[in-house]
Amino acid sequence: MRAVVKGRVGVFYLQGFLDGNNAPSFLTIEDIKSTEDLNIDMLLVSLKKVIFFNKNGLDVFVKLLTNVRNHKHITVGFCDYDHVKFNIINTFYKDGAGFSLFKSQEIAELFTSSNKGESRTVLLYNEDPSQRSSMAIELFDYGHNPIMAQSKHEFEEKKKTPELYYAIIEDTNLGVYGQKVATRVTGNAIIYTISQFLDAEISDTFNLSYHQNSLNVGFRLFIFDAYKVISMNVHALNFFTKLASSAAEYNASICFVGLSFEKTPESFKNDLEDAGLMFFDNMDDILKNKELLQELGGGGGAAAKQGRSLTKSLVNELPQFIEATVSTIAMMTNATAIKNSVNIQPLTIPKTNDQYASSIGFYGDIDGLIILIFPKTIAKKACELLIGDENASEEDVLDSLAEFVNIIAGRAKVLLTAKKHLLDITLPRTYADVNTLLEIAQNKKGVQVDLSFEGEHFIFFLTR
Amino acid sequence: MITSDEIAFYIQNIPAAPAVVQEALNHARVGDLQKASKYASEDPALKLYLKTLMNRPIYGFRNEVSDVAQIFGILGLGASQQTLYNYLLSLLTPKKWELFSLTNHQFYDLQASISKHWETILAHLNINDKELQSAISLIPASIIVCEALFAKRKKEVAQLRAVKALDFNTILFRITGSDLFDLSGEIAHKWEMPPRIVDLIQSASGRDENLTGQERILAQWMHLLLFYELSQPAYISAGLNDFIDFKIDFVQDIYESFAQVVQHTCEP
Repeated sequence: MRAVVKGRVGVFYLQGFLDGNNAPSFLTIEDIKSTEDLNIDMLLVSLKKVIFFNKNGLDVFVKLLTNVRNHKHITVGFCDYDHVKFNIINTFYKDGAGFSLFKSQEIAELFTSSNKGESRTVLLYNEDPSQRSSMAIELFDYGHNPIMAQSKHEFEEKKKTPELYYAIIEDTNLGVYGQKVATRVTGNAIIYTISQFLDAEISDTFNLSYHQNSLNVGFRLFIFDAYKVISMNVHALNFFTKLASSAAEYNASICFVGLSFEKTPESFKNDLEDAGLMFFDNMDDILKNKELLQELGGGGGAAAKQGRSLTKSLVNELPQFIEATVSTIAMMTNATAIKNSVNIQPLTIPKTNDQYASSIGFYGDIDGLIILIFPKTIAKKACELLIGDENASEEDVLDSLAEFVNIIAGRAKVLLTAKKHLLDITLPRTYADVNTLLEIAQNKKGVQVDLSFEGEHFIFFLTR
Repeated sequence: MITSDEIAFYIQNIPAAPAVVQEALNHARVGDLQKASKYASEDPALKLYLKTLMNRPIYGFRNEVSDVAQIFGILGLGASQQTLYNYLLSLLTPKKWELFSLTNHQFYDLQASISKHWETILAHLNINDKELQSAISLIPASIIVCEALFAKRKKEVAQLRAVKALDFNTILFRITGSDLFDLSGEIAHKWEMPPRIVDLIQSASGRDENLTGQERILAQWMHLLLFYELSQPAYISAGLNDFIDFKIDFVQDIYESFAQVVQHTCEP
């Protein structure tokens, strides 16, 4: 059994009965290896469809989760259970086994970074005040708005109006939480929250691959929320200096907000400024100053000043990308996509209304960005298999579009790996408004392939 | 992926029940086991199947049982009918399993185990109905249909399932509007099984929330029994555990009774 990966979260979906006798059969050696190689921030085991489990059964997965957590410093645990199962797990692991428990997958996703900038209001309660506080802090760091009930009574009262909250968090326990730097997205800026003493460990806890992905998919402003930082040492200084150099290649800006130099040498500030980092006292100094935001690259436009041109090696692989796109559409819809024209040009979209767009980057032996522009009707059709509901909301369609693009990129990766090109793919992004994408892709030359799908026009665009 | 035309072609190519098996079934249905065994003995493949089946560990016989009349006598009316259906199904098993890491012997073990447990369940429910007893035989047909339709699409499905937890049954239903249990029902229909068996097989998917009365109870027990069997280590390793969607809410209210009847240790 392989974990299903959505965004930065991997989930094992078990079904039926789980005991010490059958649990090892769920995981082959290859499954364990592939799980350890996943590039994710959270690994969960869903108990939603497990009707019976015992400790021996859970132990098999706890062992895997613990190994992965120890090696990758990510959050691991169980999710999707009811109150009875929650109590049983707590009885099995009275002294705690170091994993987290999330009542639902939706709740778990609030504790991890995504490419979306949504701030959710959630109601939160835990009998243990320290758990309550640490959950609230984490949620806040990920950009959400936790409403913390101080007593069971207050919680029950507030629960009576569930429509006020995106989620009601109970029967949830962070356990030994992953030590990754919390990340949230605000508009077109990515905010990392750092705290305490910054030393050599920052290179383990900071998700460099997420940062690289964000650069690849067009983010240009990165803000370190450093209000809670006490001090940093020379190893952390070196880390941030290197980060600044790599950001410069993309014309991206990195800022520190709220960093105090009471216990950090002032000379560090000069060194960091020389490397191109900027310092601000308050978050609002950036986020509420539209001109500055635009200048720093967080205004949405964010195109790199020095556009990177297409390379021969990338264009040579165009057939693999087209094959991956066309075959995925055929697989998902049983319909054939027809290629109408291929041109090297800036992205040109004849009409921008009633369209969805999505993009996904890839890097490694070759790097670039795939952009797909769909008429809304076609996007819905292409995602029907994933959603299973003809009347799905726009949010569901956009979510599925991201999964759809992920499948295409996954197929392209397989095809290119067969040709000895090793590459990784970034998180996909989706756009309800195509104009937002056009601002990012403006003036970028790429290969535009116009395809038709059941008579409707859709665009594949490959650029760097 | 899979088209409705492909499904129609598959169903069209399901062989009709061989004449001797049909005759044996007709006699078994009216309670004449002697004539049923006489017809069954005429088909060497059926004879071998019965002999192999009866000597599998689940039946627990110390000495080899080989005579068809003796086998039918041991099994009794309901189980003989059930075994004839199992044989029909065995005619559809692939020479080599590609989608699932399964052997035909493992598949026959699954059939036998499901049949034995179903007998216990019907006794618990105080249902003495030969047709209902034999209906369970067609449940594993969903596995054969799944293998036949998806074997050549293993990679595609793996890529799809890497980003979304979709089972084969849901994929098929979303693409074509029919699920594996509908197709198993089609097979039962083709083999001229009584309409109530066809309906019961289709209801075992757990998708129909509007079922009531005995029909709902039987569908619940069938659905949970299927998942109990598919949670056995050999079938998990074969990739059968998640080939259909387990409707846990559909079976929740019978779980306690099931645990007692099927003697699964349910206490933590």
